[in-house]
Amino acid sequence: METERSTWVWSGFSIVLLLILHFLFRPLFVRLPLAPNLLVGALLLATLHLRAGHAAFLGFSLGILEAAMALEGMGWYALALTVIGYVGARSRDLLFADARFYVFGYLFVGTWLAESVLLLLGTSPPGLVRLFVGGGADALLTALVCGGVEAMTASLVDRQV
Amino acid sequence: MRYLTVGRPESQRRDLVLAAALAFFSLFLAGLSLDSRLSITEVLRSSILAPFLGAQSMFARGADLSEQVTTLTIEREALAARVLEAADLELENQQLRAITGLPGRRISEFAVGEVIPGAPEAGVSHSFLFRTRADVVPVTPAGISAPDGIVGVLRTAHRGSGLGEFWTHPDFRVGVRTPTGSATGILRSFLAPGGETMMLLEGIPFQTDIPAGTLLVTSGIGGVHPAGVPVGRVVEEAESRSGWSHSFLVEPIVRPGQVRVGLVWLVGSVLPSQDSSAAEARGGD
Repeated sequence: METERSTWVWSGFSIVLLLILHFLFRPLFVRLPLAPNLLVGALLLATLHLRAGHAAFLGFSLGILEAAMALEGMGWYALALTVIGYVGARSRDLLFADARFYVFGYLFVGTWLAESVLLLLGTSPPGLVRLFVGGGADALLTALVCGGVEAMTASLVDRQV
Repeated sequence: MRYLTVGRPESQRRDLVLAAALAFFSLFLAGLSLDSRLSITEVLRSSILAPFLGAQSMFARGADLSEQVTTLTIEREALAARVLEAADLELENQQLRAITGLPGRRISEFAVGEVIPGAPEAGVSHSFLFRTRADVVPVTPAGISAPDGIVGVLRTAHRGSGLGEFWTHPDFRVGVRTPTGSATGILRSFLAPGGETMMLLEGIPFQTDIPAGTLLVTSGIGGVHPAGVPVGRVVEEAESRSGWSHSFLVEPIVRPGQVRVGLVWLVGSVLPSQDSSAAEARGGD
């Protein structure tokens, strides 16, 4: 019981922090050629702790906010992140989330797929280089940053328990 | 740390139904009219996202300020060098005027102020708010210029602030000449065929040609702008001709979007009044 509460508190805190950082520094991340996608990273981390339906709802809400921030893709971003939230939560159950390097691989593949979908839904079609090389590099950065945050959260929880 | 597991089958079905409902709602949102989507966007941007947008604009202002400080430092250094160079010139001018019996040179007086562009119309802002010290009372219309060149004209002024028009305004006119004085004319804003706002120099006699690249400066006639302020460079002869005069397309030196700080000319008129001319003439005699 104590472990569960501690997990919720620390995970919730780290996810909210990632989302705040994403919305705060969004103009900077958009301008940079390579940047972690903290929005998708935070959503994927949340899907590790939420039920599929709740993860889908979180994805939907974040999609609406992201579209309002980007001034484009209202509805499409929500659809993409709803699907990512649901599929992420379901795949976690199917792929044994407690495996040691699962989280890193999950974040990397999940972010790459999500970035590709979001880029394809954008107003200007992305080039293949942006889609595969840029998307892959962004996904790697996201996996490193969010995976690091998740590892720190896990160690804090383990230490408390 | 352990993660949540799938749960009971009925919970899975409920999750699937919820996700499907959200997906359909997302599609409904995507299918809404642009106005409706913009309304939702506005509501979100003015409520949940407002603190983030506020912080972002604060960061942007901070970055702008540091950039401005760098620019101002460079300009200040350049200005200091020019002032040192001009000291000799000023002395020489005074001596020559004394020898030839001319009255002392009338030095222009400027006040520095902030130029705040108004709401843009079709992507271009024609008007601006000018803010300077509260004790500055310019005689309107008064010319507004930046260190590089003409910005526009101040139309109304009250207690250190006033409304003005950029040179892009359809009513803006300024008398200009070439630096040598070989040609003079009236300059106004002009929408070039590509959609870019340029300037058009009109009233140039038919036989006078102005080569491309020639700098045009204010003539000072009219008393709104001081003489000698750069305005633009001639690009090419324009197609429009009227009678015995022809016109030239001019590339402006200052674009309204670049200007944040301007100088308002406080003298009000470059032409001395009848009384002062007479008095100076008598003094000279």
